Amino acid sequence: MPRNSIKSRLIATVVISQLLLATGLVITGVEYTHRRLVSALDTSLEGRAMSTAALVRYTEATPPKLFFDADLARVGLDKERPDLYEVTIDDGKVLTRSANWPDVLPGREKARKGHWKFRLAGIPYRGLMLRHVPILDREANEPPAFLDIVYATPMVEMEQQVWAAGIYIAVASLVLLAMTVVLALWGIQRGLLPLRHLVDRAALVSAENWEFVPPEETEQAAELEPLTQAMTTMVDRLHGSFLQQREFLGNAAHELKTPVAILKSTLQSLMQRPRSSEEYRVGLEESLEDLQRLERLLQWMLRLARAEQWAHGALRRDLELVDLAGTCEEAIERLRGLAQERHATVRLVSEGQALLRADPEDLQLVWVNLLENAVRYSPEGAAVEIRVSRNNGGPAKVVFEDHGAGIPAEDLPHIFDRFYRSDPSRTRSTGGFGLGLAIAKALVEAYGGTISAASTPGEGTRMTVELPVSGE
Amino acid sequence: MRVLIVEDERRLAENIARSLRESASYAVDIALDGEEGLFMAESNPYDLLVLDLMLPRVDGLQLLTRLRQAGRDTPVLVLTARDEKESVVKLLNAGADDYLTKPFDLGELLARSKALVRRGKGKAAPKFKVGDLEINTLDHSVRRGERAVTLTAMEYRVLEYLAHRPGAIVSKTELLEHLYDYNWEKFSNVIEVYISGLRRKLENGSSLIHTVRGQGYILQDPDA
Repeated sequence: MPRNSIKSRLIATVVISQLLLATGLVITGVEYTHRRLVSALDTSLEGRAMSTAALVRYTEATPPKLFFDADLARVGLDKERPDLYEVTIDDGKVLTRSANWPDVLPGREKARKGHWKFRLAGIPYRGLMLRHVPILDREANEPPAFLDIVYATPMVEMEQQVWAAGIYIAVASLVLLAMTVVLALWGIQRGLLPLRHLVDRAALVSAENWEFVPPEETEQAAELEPLTQAMTTMVDRLHGSFLQQREFLGNAAHELKTPVAILKSTLQSLMQRPRSSEEYRVGLEESLEDLQRLERLLQWMLRLARAEQWAHGALRRDLELVDLAGTCEEAIERLRGLAQERHATVRLVSEGQALLRADPEDLQLVWVNLLENAVRYSPEGAAVEIRVSRNNGGPAKVVFEDHGAGIPAEDLPHIFDRFYRSDPSRTRSTGGFGLGLAIAKALVEAYGGTISAASTPGEGTRMTVELPVSGE
Repeated sequence: MRVLIVEDERRLAENIARSLRESASYAVDIALDGEEGLFMAESNPYDLLVLDLMLPRVDGLQLLTRLRQAGRDTPVLVLTARDEKESVVKLLNAGADDYLTKPFDLGELLARSKALVRRGKGKAAPKFKVGDLEINTLDHSVRRGERAVTLTAMEYRVLEYLAHRPGAIVSKTELLEHLYDYNWEKFSNVIEVYISGLRRKLENGSSLIHTVRGQGYILQDPDA
């Protein structure tokens, strides 16, 4: 699988930007050199045109006549491609032309005055037209006259110089580019080193070792700091939930092992020697009871696992609107037997209707758990009150209030923990597993609600459930 | 031998007690919580403590620590549902002699209990001899020289206890405390019956068990 490498991307960026830079440099360099050389050429062209003009003088005859002293005429710098020139007198009469003057000079009519470029027989030329140049070498008795001078010189040499400059700049740029790439590679390699060290440290984290110490250099790197921060908190969170899971597993194993141990010891002691049929019957009855307890525990654990799965959003179902007070009534009905046994009075006060999208079975399970605790841990004949209320626009509130022994302050933060029992003997003898409140919490949270407990030892306990209501 | 079981699951405690009574002829008491267990262990001379770790009120580890601090060297067999290395190490370091993880095998519990009682009395072998008297604590068989001796359960228990401490004077109260559970007082007169029964059955020209007037009984090798 081809991977997206940061290194190669960075290198590509460097190379591309360097290439762009080099191209720009070559273009501007060539352009600049060309301009400078043309401007120099133009100056020299003017000089040569003027020296050509200086070769026009009068004969010593009378009246004096103009002539061109061709002997002194220069051919220019390029011997193989001599300069072109033409001198015309004011009235349009051609005084002289260079030997290589063509029949037609391209672009001449465009350049009525000044410089222009043209090609002749494939050779580039720079031309200059000077108008109205007075005769420079004139005696006072000679009549004034004005000349038009056309002078052109080949640009071959100049173009070669421009090329050479271009190639020079290009080669220099490429050498620099190669050096930059090497430097960039080294720099990136070094720059990514902290990342590699971070990876090494992260690889040390495992289920046995939860210590994650980011290397110092990554903490100092501004770009890596948020990453190491995030990793540290992630490892901490994972560690927390790992410990929680392990504790749950340990507790679950403990809770399961005890009934299994009882069952096993009952059957083994029955088998130690021949027994009377009455002894067998009692032993089997006891074993069956223990099996039922084991079965109940498994059911509770599965219920908790299911509720917690929902709490993590794993399951959403099409739900119908349920009346909160109605589910409370159902729960009271279910616990009627226990309430009668304990001579407890359960009072339901409903202040306004609250409707919620929920599985009524889930809500009843929550209420049954809360109510059962309230009835069980209140003295005989005590009263338990359930109040369903709803703030305008706010969540629905269900409060369970008992006048029992209350919960000691040190136990209060733990009562929703799985398998938590403030007094193991008391709850075990009443058949609880320490899972009821954990299930209630998981279910309430699955519906986006909250559950909290407040208690004054000796006076009673108040459990408050808040649930977001659905629009009617 | 007298054993205390401290276990909050009544049914488990009763099953262990039944097994120890039936298969080891031990007298067994049961405590259902740590507080009661500690009180009983401190106020009675037990030969073995079977201790659950998760107990209401005073937990097993605390009970064990306090018992050892009080200078009690009763052998302790701990029952635990956790078998992680740390908790086992902690247990043994707190003074436990052995442990079993739940769910355990009753046969194994019996064997370990017998081994611990044996060790507590300074004996390593399950079979031992005092002179020509040979006692097998595994099947409770007794021989005097070449002759097999058949004893009742209670006679065996008296003999085993005396034979574990040959040459020492054992008072009637000590015997009662180790052979009966918490109701021992009402049995105070039957010890004499067992002693005379033992004397009769073990008679082999020389007598093994002697009465030390006003102090108790002594089992002595006649040739020593």
